[in-house]
Amino acid sequence: MPSRRDFLLLSAAAGLTFAVRPSFAAETRLAFNDLYEREAQLSALTEALTGQPVVMTGFMAPPLKAEASFFVLTKTPLAVCPFCETEAQWPDDIVLVLTRGIITAVPFNVPIVARGVLDTGFEIDPETGFVSLIRIEDATFARA
Amino acid sequence: MLRHTAALLAGVSTLGLAGAAIAQDLPQANDSYFTSAAADLEEILARQPIEGQARNIILFVGDGMSIPTTTAARILEGQDRGVDGESNSLAVDTFPYVALSRTYGNDAQVSDSAPTATAMVSGVKTNAGIIGLNGSVAYQDCAAAAGNEVKTIFEMAEEAGWETGIISTARIVHATPAAAYAHTADRNWESSAPEGCRDIAAQLIEWPFGDGFEVVLGGGRNYFMPNTMADPEDEGRTGNRQDGRDLTAEWTSIGNDHVFIWNAEQFAALDLSAGQSILGLFEGSHMEYEADREGDTGGEPSLAEMTAAAIERLLQSENGFVLMVEGGRIDHAHHAGNAARALYDTIAFNAAIQTALDMTSREDTLIVVTADHSHSMTINGYPDRGNPILGVVREGGEVVLAADGKPFTTLSYANGPGGVFPALADGQTEAEGAAPRQDLTDVDTTDIDYLQQALVPIGSETHTGDDVAIYAWGPWAHLFSGTVEQNLIYHVMSYASGLGRE
Repeated sequence: MPSRRDFLLLSAAAGLTFAVRPSFAAETRLAFNDLYEREAQLSALTEALTGQPVVMTGFMAPPLKAEASFFVLTKTPLAVCPFCETEAQWPDDIVLVLTRGIITAVPFNVPIVARGVLDTGFEIDPETGFVSLIRIEDATFARA
Repeated sequence: MLRHTAALLAGVSTLGLAGAAIAQDLPQANDSYFTSAAADLEEILARQPIEGQARNIILFVGDGMSIPTTTAARILEGQDRGVDGESNSLAVDTFPYVALSRTYGNDAQVSDSAPTATAMVSGVKTNAGIIGLNGSVAYQDCAAAAGNEVKTIFEMAEEAGWETGIISTARIVHATPAAAYAHTADRNWESSAPEGCRDIAAQLIEWPFGDGFEVVLGGGRNYFMPNTMADPEDEGRTGNRQDGRDLTAEWTSIGNDHVFIWNAEQFAALDLSAGQSILGLFEGSHMEYEADREGDTGGEPSLAEMTAAAIERLLQSENGFVLMVEGGRIDHAHHAGNAARALYDTIAFNAAIQTALDMTSREDTLIVVTADHSHSMTINGYPDRGNPILGVVREGGEVVLAADGKPFTTLSYANGPGGVFPALADGQTEAEGAAPRQDLTDVDTTDIDYLQQALVPIGSETHTGDDVAIYAWGPWAHLFSGTVEQNLIYHVMSYASGLGRE
């Protein structure tokens, strides 16, 4: 039976840590730098893509817990768990990724690609109290 | 023996000609490098130490501003202006006196900002994580604090009827500015502390020396607000005090002359001639990096603008003032492995220094610029003169390939988030095999968000233990000379001003 490490290595070799939906024409690549007009003010592009399939490249912040079906996608590697550290200085432009299934954590300094449907608007997660403005829902991800 | 004699003769000969003009028949006599350095020598020869009493003291602390950080910022600032970066000069480069500062702590080879700031403002080295207490107190030993407090030069100044100010782009309760007023066994007790000890924000508001600070400008607003109070700037955010106290209201209740502000508009509207005591907290936590400041929701003044306001306010003091100005986020960007933001914050810090030079007199104001500790960023390779400092190394205009066949950046870190080996993921106990180093051929390494590659993967790039520079200007600045202990900074400020002396 393959160990967790073997699985990770195999997944890495295959370029996958999760089932990835094939990209299709309607999917728009969205860059972190294009998300905001200014702090807390979404760009016209982000507004326009809300409800649409998008793909974003970034890094997985350390997850809150095992068996989670969400993670925080960051522009640059972020070693602290943003949910756990109340004082964590983490950037304003993070994206909450809500996945289709339980995630397998990826090291914080390994780039990943996340795909799913863009959702925007101020939201506080009732379970974690986590505040988000931009989310990718029904998401899948893979190592970049 | 012969060589010895020759050396002696040469010595005698040089001695006999000391002060004479440069021989014009030297083949290099008209070389511009030669004449430029010769002019520098004339300037040094004309330098007169200033030995009057310092009426004012300004201590600039570039948090984590290692010597390579200053060098790289000097190059970047020049290149951004379209001039030669390598020979460009920042404000600190014009300071006449420089010393090297040994930054080790009482219990640490590599220090954090708490003991180093304590050393600078109180004259003693202490333990890691400790502010304003001597080295007999163990980290987090709340009970041991009483009786082991040291007195800071800000406290001495207030007792002597001087005025005082602290400015930081970090939280004003963060270690460096906190060292001016707080005495705590743990630098992290910013808004709460164990029974029997007071948190740092409360210590600032309740500071019992003189009539308290006249100027407090920085970040950290949420540390002064109860957790039931909504933040005025950021939706969804609240204060984080669990004791229900609103310290901003407590500040303004001290008197009609105590004002609290939190955005750029209020800052611009300040009446600096009205003798007010100003508490300005422009972010819930740290202020924005200079590179991101423009996009801030509530608007933030620059470090130079805060410095100008503070000096304008404090120059009205009858006796004199002591001011600390911290470029607090040079350090944070380095921790993130993000050289661009560290350098742009260093350039903003430099602008604040220039502001102070412009607004004060060298005859009566001692200005000390230093760093509390270093960081692991290096300037490496053999890049061409004029090669973009944030770029990959080029020699003769050609990209240089490392032994793995890939380009590398001039700036890199020994450790940090940019570590080229994969970190352990949550739940992983064995490291993955080393991945090949990322090929930078098509990467824009000058992007503001680019993280330089590092050797060892660590979530937060670390401080380093190399000496940092002390640059000095004004009365008794010439006492900064040689390789000195970091806590000498206090002693020179004390000697120059008379504070803490009989």
